[in-house]
Order: sequence, then C-alpha cells, then structure tokens
Amino acid sequence: MSIVSDLFFILNGITATISISFLSFGIGFLLGILLAFIRLYAPKPAALLGDAYVKLFLGVPVLVFMLLFHFGFGQFIPLFKSAYFSSVFALGLRSGAYQSQIFKAAINSIPRDQLLAARALGLTDSQILRHVVLPQAFIVALPGLGSEIALLIKDSAYAFILGVLDITKYADILRAAYREFVTPYVLAAMLYIVLTFPIANYLDKLGSRLKKKYAL
Amino acid sequence: MSSETILEGQDIWKIYGSLEVLRGVNISIRRGQTKVIIGPSGSGKSTLLRILGLLEPPTRGRVVFKGRDVYSEGLDLAKIRSKIGFVFQQPSLFRHLTALENIKLGPKLVLGMSEKEAERRAREMLKLVHLEEFADYYPAQLSGGQQQRVAIARALAMNPDILLLDEPTANLDIELTWEVIEVMEELARKGITMLVVTHEIPFAREVADEICFISDGVIQECNEPEEMIRNPQTPRARIFLKRLLGEV
Repeated sequence: MSIVSDLFFILNGITATISISFLSFGIGFLLGILLAFIRLYAPKPAALLGDAYVKLFLGVPVLVFMLLFHFGFGQFIPLFKSAYFSSVFALGLRSGAYQSQIFKAAINSIPRDQLLAARALGLTDSQILRHVVLPQAFIVALPGLGSEIALLIKDSAYAFILGVLDITKYADILRAAYREFVTPYVLAAMLYIVLTFPIANYLDKLGSRLKKKYAL
Repeated sequence: MSSETILEGQDIWKIYGSLEVLRGVNISIRRGQTKVIIGPSGSGKSTLLRILGLLEPPTRGRVVFKGRDVYSEGLDLAKIRSKIGFVFQQPSLFRHLTALENIKLGPKLVLGMSEKEAERRAREMLKLVHLEEFADYYPAQLSGGQQQRVAIARALAMNPDILLLDEPTANLDIELTWEVIEVMEELARKGITMLVVTHEIPFAREVADEICFISDGVIQECNEPEEMIRNPQTPRARIFLKRLLGEV
C-alpha cells in the first residue's frame, strides 16, 4: 500500500477520535465547572467530596477506568457494553477533574475587590457569578482548556484497546495486515499533531490576547 | 440641622479572633452631609466603612439605614446595598467590560432598567465625572484616576442615598489624585451625601461638614473641619494631624 492509501485508511478513524475527544470534553466541561463551584463555595463536606473526586481521577490512569467501565460496569449497565461510550465517560469524568482544577484556579484569579464591588452594587451571588466571575474566568481558563482538549485527543487513543475504531486502531490494523511497522504509526502520529496543535495553539493565543486586552 | 439621618452605626464592634478592630463606634450621616473620617493605618476606618456599606456584618452593634435596623429586621441586604454607593481604594472595575458597560450593569440587573434607559443613565454619569469620551474604553486602557472616576460614576448610577468612599485616592499620584478630588468636590457641592475616608485635608477643609478622627477602633473626636485641623482635642489627633500636615 502507498503512503497516501495508508493515510486514507487511517483517516477512517478520525470520526471516532474527534467525537470521543469532544464528547468527553463536553462532559468534563460541565462537570469541571460544577466541581469547581462545589470545591470553592459548597459546605465543607461537599467540598471535601469534590476534592476526593479530583484526587481519585487524577491519581488513577484513565485506561484503568476505561477497562473498569467497559469490562466491569458493562456487565450491569448496558451503556458501558459499548466500548465507545465507556471511553467517552471515562475520559469525560477524568477531564472533569482536570477542568475543575483549571476553573478553580481561574475563578480564584478574579480579584476579590471586584466581587466586593459587585456586591456593593446590590448584585446577587448568582448575578455576580454570571456577569462578573464566569466571563473573566473563561478567558483565564482558555489556555488550560486548549491543553485539556489536546490531552483528550491524545488519550482517546486508549479507546483502541477496548476495540474502538479510532486513528490508532486503523494504524494498528495496517501493521497487522501488511506488516508495516513504521509508516502507519508515523502517519497516526502526524494526524494527532494536526488535530491537537492548531486547537491548543489557537486557544492559547486567544486566551493570551484577551488576557492582555482586559489586563486579567 | 434637622435633615433625615440616612445611615447610622450604633455601638459597632468588630472582633477578629482576639483582635478588636472596632470598639463601640457610633456614627451617623444626615442627608446632604459630607463627613470625612481620618485616622492612622489599622485604626479601623476601612472596616467601619465596609460594615456601614453592609459588605460585612458587625460582631456587635446596629447598622441603621433610613431608620431601619438592617440586621435585626432581616432586611434584603442586596437591595439596601444598591442604595449605598461604595467606592473602594482600588477602582475595582469589571475588567472585561467597558467603562459604559461597567456603569450599566447595576441599573440593568438591580434596578431593572431597560438597555436603553441604563445606557442613558450611564452616559449621564460619565458626563458627571468628565469621561464621556471614554465610554468604550476598557479599564486597562484608562489611567488610575480615570478608573476611579468610572467607579464613582458606577456607584452614582444606582442613584444611591449615600456614597461611601474608602480612600479613593490612596493609590494615585498627585495629578491623578486631583482628578478624583475635583469630582468628589463637585458631588459634595451638588448635595450628594458622602462619607469619605481620606487623608486629603484640603478636600476635607473645602467640602466636609465634619471630620471624625478614629484611632484604635474608637472615634476619638468629631468636629468642624477648621476646628479639627487647627485645634484637635485629643493628643492622638494632634500628633496624627501634625504628621499629616507635615508639621513634624
């Protein structure tokens, strides 16, 4: 097979790679904001539970959770019989832990005097969060979120172990079928770079530009 | 003078652990009055202002707004805060919003004004602080003095009954300080009720109805500006004013 036909074959896995990455990012995004608020503002027992969640997901390799969800929970929960959804949820829950760290730091970076000023104007807590804290926290979080998307795109490759037909899996099929040991993996590596670099770079630059504009 | 008392602190105590920051402070501000508080660092000035601005509760004592005890009557704090304008030492502008948007936010969200009404109000306030041409500037594009004037405009846009200013010129150089002082003097002449923590004695002399000296968490004395500056009654006030006026 030629390099071009190898590339087109491996590209069959791009939908799975991208959809797993972005779905898990979406889960992680919602969970991350929720966890950040719990860890910052909830009563102590809830905040401690939030901290424990983050420690658990940051301390255990995500592949272990993927295997546990698919082969373990998959026996009782129909959704996890799917290798695809097991991967999405394991990566999403881990991403929630990472993103809560990103959002927690971003929220903490908003100067306290702005919060006091908002309170002095008579804004309620939810108005302060919505109109003062979150818009600025998102800007501060942008570079971190870019890195997180890149991490998810790379870690989505673990899904191939469960049998998901992603970029890595298609590269591995070429290796097995044609005994090509270098080209398929190099092509896969290049595809991952093409996917991760622009988005991480764009969000990093956008974040830096906005931070500079608003002096955040 | 028999005008209405807008804001009153009665026997205000603030204690952090074993530290007594305020020890039974009594203070009241009548409508149209400009009252200035002076005192050394750590004397409790800012804490007193934050308590009167309902930004933190006193450990003991009462904060009375227009005749109603705010805490014991369980009044809606956010609603009353919107009637007490507060300007901090740092301008504290929302950095992702332009000057105009900073000023519009309160009238829209708290007073329920329409976008158009809020914008008209915000532009009026910018005019009042002589910054109408800076409406679309972000805080990062404004000088410290301009930011502080926007902060004053933002507080005034809520049409407050009283404006509390906590050393609004403390972090500004001399030129920028005067920009802010001029605006404050104009407000005083317009009859806006103000309680100002400041060490700008010329400002106090010009517009204050009364200067109070606070030290060690206690208001040691209050007097008319000239009397306070020329003839302070307590030894601490005498030493403090001498240092402040550069006579030592």
